[in-house]
Amino acid sequence: MIETRGITKFFANGKRGVVSALCNINIRVRPGTPVALVGPNGAGKTTLIRVLSTLILPSSGEAYVNGYSVVDQPKEVKRSIGLVTVSDRLFYYRLTAMENLVFYATLYNLGLGEARKRARETLSIVGLSGWADTKTMHYSTGMLRRLALARAILHDPPVIMLDEPTLGIDVVSSRNVRRLVRQLGEERTVLFTSHYMKDVEEIAGYVYIIKGGRIVAEGSPQDLTRLVGRVVELEVYEDELPDSYRRFVVTYRNGHVTLRIPESIVDDLKAHTVEERSVQPTLEDVYVSLVGESSMDVRPYQFRRGGTNEWRAG
Amino acid sequence: MSGVLAKLYAFLYLRGFRVWVSYRTQMVLNVLSWVLPVFTYYFVGTSLGKRITTSVHIMSYTSFFVVGLAFQGYVSSSIVTISQRLRNEQLYGTLEYYVLSPVGVFGFLTYSAVWGFTLNTLNAAVILAVGAGLGVSYSGANMLGAAILVLMLVASTFGIGMMSAALVMVTKQGNPISFFFSTFTTLMSGTVFPVNALPYVVRLVSYALPLTWALDGLRLALLQGATIIQLSPYITIMGVFDLVTIPLGAAVYKLCFDYVRRKGTISQY
Repeated sequence: MIETRGITKFFANGKRGVVSALCNINIRVRPGTPVALVGPNGAGKTTLIRVLSTLILPSSGEAYVNGYSVVDQPKEVKRSIGLVTVSDRLFYYRLTAMENLVFYATLYNLGLGEARKRARETLSIVGLSGWADTKTMHYSTGMLRRLALARAILHDPPVIMLDEPTLGIDVVSSRNVRRLVRQLGEERTVLFTSHYMKDVEEIAGYVYIIKGGRIVAEGSPQDLTRLVGRVVELEVYEDELPDSYRRFVVTYRNGHVTLRIPESIVDDLKAHTVEERSVQPTLEDVYVSLVGESSMDVRPYQFRRGGTNEWRAG
Repeated sequence: MSGVLAKLYAFLYLRGFRVWVSYRTQMVLNVLSWVLPVFTYYFVGTSLGKRITTSVHIMSYTSFFVVGLAFQGYVSSSIVTISQRLRNEQLYGTLEYYVLSPVGVFGFLTYSAVWGFTLNTLNAAVILAVGAGLGVSYSGANMLGAAILVLMLVASTFGIGMMSAALVMVTKQGNPISFFFSTFTTLMSGTVFPVNALPYVVRLVSYALPLTWALDGLRLALLQGATIIQLSPYITIMGVFDLVTIPLGAAVYKLCFDYVRRKGTISQY
């Protein structure tokens, strides 16, 4: 279980003064329901993961992981979590996968025999048993991601946090990682960040959309997709498209653009529309509508406000 | 206990030895860097040595600098090794995993230091052996006294290494403690010439360095067979250094670690 109440984090940022990275964040993650944090670069997702894993102290607010306070009981929190970070390296490349995992297992006070046993087990779980004795310098990025997952569960933690677990890996490797995370989330508390809606749709039972350090929407993927109502796909002449609609563009072709856009806001475009058809709304439609192109876009499409966070679906 | 042994295996064999020998060129250069200075100073000594060392009542300059070179590595390279190890973990992206594990960064530095000291013991053994080949005699050496002094030197070095690594957490690059000890120990600590050859003001600085006292004591123990009683002034002074540097190292470490947690820069490099 992960729970935060009003978590806020400020960073001193030279001449820009104080920057608010997280502002009044309230989330709850239960075992058996993996939760996704999605949002643009710089939204605060990684900062929140770091606060929850005790790597960064919050400026204010409370956060509990497995019942322990991240500020007052960091040792207990650390014992309760497995973390997968987004770094490119993460392992000693001159050692084999088995040696790397044995090394990390000993950090959790496991004896050598137990460390080897757990390393073998976790390599088997992530499907790398056949590569146990290969130096990790020869591993692909996808294999390293799976190995990072194996390391995260070496000490059998009840809570797992993953920062962009499928970043930079190919389609098949992504599927493998998604399957693994989904399996881990069947019994454990799993919180992950991602830029890929495919990850979210396949893994998450609940989603927080975060932007500029604030949660702008939350709900199950199904509830969130209902949030946008009907979505239409429009074809419009590119040179007639107002700038405020550019974030809804999915393709550019021969002077035409195709947009996916909530039907409730297409009125201004009706006059320029060449073709229009209804489509099933997706999480990506929700994301684009709420978040826009980046953290710096301060005019997201607003549905309604209310609750502890800005918007709650369902 | 099995956990400690497993960690020693992990840090000494896996993270230390296995990684070290995997960079073969670096390993060969390391060994050469231990041995070559011995020959450099040996030839310097053939023309200048006797005049330098008679002032400290050691008749052989080779004996003087062999002991100096053998043990100065505990200070200069250990301090650099500990802080460099922390920096490497930042670059690898693995430092966070130490922070999150029960062993923590403090434990990581401690176990990493064990590897550093093991390597330096190998370094010392090689230099002392080369010295024996050049005619240095250790017959009648007080090995127990020497071991006590080495352990006390290691303890004070660990305290200084902690401060050095803690600063790396904050500064990422540019470490004044590491720079000072790696650059000045050979010059100021009586490694290859006696400190009384230094100008008075510089000599005062050299007396503030634990290595200066440790080397004086080690020369007495290894070359003249001084008893524990005769070594007691050096052991006492080293004890004072240990009492100061270890708590100070731990305090500076905690200060720096809390600072980077507040700033959120643990993994930045």
